[in-house]
Amino acid sequence: MGEPFDISYVFEYLVKLLPTLKITLLIVVSSIVIGLGVGFIVALPQLYKIPILRRFSQVYLSFFRGTPILIQLFLFYYGLPEILKLVNLDVAKVPAIYFVILTYALHSGAYMAEMIRAAVGAVDRGQVEAAYSVGMNGFQAFTRIVLPQAMAIAIPVFANLVIANLKDTSLAFSLGIMEMTGKSQTLAVMSRHFVETYISLAIIYFVISFGLEKLFHLLERKLLKHERRITTDVKEQLVKLGKTKRSLLGFGYSRGGRENEA
Amino acid sequence: MKLDFAFIWTAFLQLLTAVPTALAITVVSVSCGLLIGTTVAIIRLYKIPVLHPIAASYVTFIRGTPMLTHLLLIYFGLPIIVDGISEALGLSFRSVSIPMIGFAYISFSITAGAYMSEVVRSGLLAVNRGQIEAAYSIGMTTSQAMRRIILPQAFSASLPNLSNSVIGMLHGSTLAFTVSVVDINAKAQIVASTNWKFFEAYLAAALIFWGLTFIIERLTALAEKRFNLYNRGGVS
Repeated sequence: MGEPFDISYVFEYLVKLLPTLKITLLIVVSSIVIGLGVGFIVALPQLYKIPILRRFSQVYLSFFRGTPILIQLFLFYYGLPEILKLVNLDVAKVPAIYFVILTYALHSGAYMAEMIRAAVGAVDRGQVEAAYSVGMNGFQAFTRIVLPQAMAIAIPVFANLVIANLKDTSLAFSLGIMEMTGKSQTLAVMSRHFVETYISLAIIYFVISFGLEKLFHLLERKLLKHERRITTDVKEQLVKLGKTKRSLLGFGYSRGGRENEA
Repeated sequence: MKLDFAFIWTAFLQLLTAVPTALAITVVSVSCGLLIGTTVAIIRLYKIPVLHPIAASYVTFIRGTPMLTHLLLIYFGLPIIVDGISEALGLSFRSVSIPMIGFAYISFSITAGAYMSEVVRSGLLAVNRGQIEAAYSIGMTTSQAMRRIILPQAFSASLPNLSNSVIGMLHGSTLAFTVSVVDINAKAQIVASTNWKFFEAYLAAALIFWGLTFIIERLTALAEKRFNLYNRGGVS
């Protein structure tokens, strides 16, 4: 199948694939941004336990987490124009990429909602009570106390979601979008150097997701500053007790109170 | 727009014939993945000299690239390797005789292995260190302690992650259409190509996946209840 393997094509295609990276990133960034908004809206009825809306958001979550993204892509691509025809809106001329972005946004919105719910739930109840006791109102307590802590907790999950979204965009080719995977398929079919093309494709994906992971790790360290102070306090105490610095390595950073989950 | 409910039903019935393929891909990839994952997790936990960096880079690479690229790489790359080896050894076996679904099995197992290794690793790490010390202190050997004390607890701790991975692989099985395996997604296209009612066909496909996911979630909840029995009572 195809031409004999030639490593030099890997580099050649790497350069040829890079221009399409911006379409991939466009899908990722816009769907993550919209998805965050959607996720927030979907998570609110669950957080505040609003009677009927809560059911709706549960069904939404269940559907988008219970069906593959590929099926959702086709479903929206074929179904949305027909549904919008009911309200006399003709979207037949709208480029497919908008449908793709919308689908990815709704898909990641479901996961974002879960992330927001879990992160807000993970902030200790006593924190809100303490905020109330010093005279803050509900809004102040949320924005000043709960949100910063919830964000730090959510960062690892958020990083995973962004990377998963990046990898999922490889499916957009099935609707004819010329993002990286679509472009690589065209290149591969034209030159018949299948393996080389897909190796360079894998390299690009890997570099981006690896870079994203490192970036989010830095961000997490920054947001968890308030926790690190506790460990430095411990360090000072231990130094006072005359322990050697080597034994401190075991402390790392703990996320506080998560050890006894059982 | 008029939704053709009758066609959704016909499509649904026709799509059911493709469910065994999707389930077969899921089951094979999850069980092979568990095997690979456990091996990799043990290698990484015990930091076995040469294998440890290999295992770590395997997991990083697979988790950093889309499942689709694994499938495409295996589909186009494996025949070259297989043919090269059998030619060098003078065997009559050629890659043409590998069935299409075989590529899906192999590549999805490799994908699942990397994700499963993290599941297994976090499960093993979740078991309290004191448990194995207690097992040693009453005279168990390492393999006894593993089998009787650590693994059951690690299994129940990793059940939620495991079920997520199974659902992920089930959803991933829709990619098999790229190597011409007729799974649910490909079947939906075939069914719809007769009368162009793609929306109805994919609606039926979505319903099937939704149902399958729901069943897996229910089964996990039951299993969790069963395997967490030891944890009942007390205040923790």
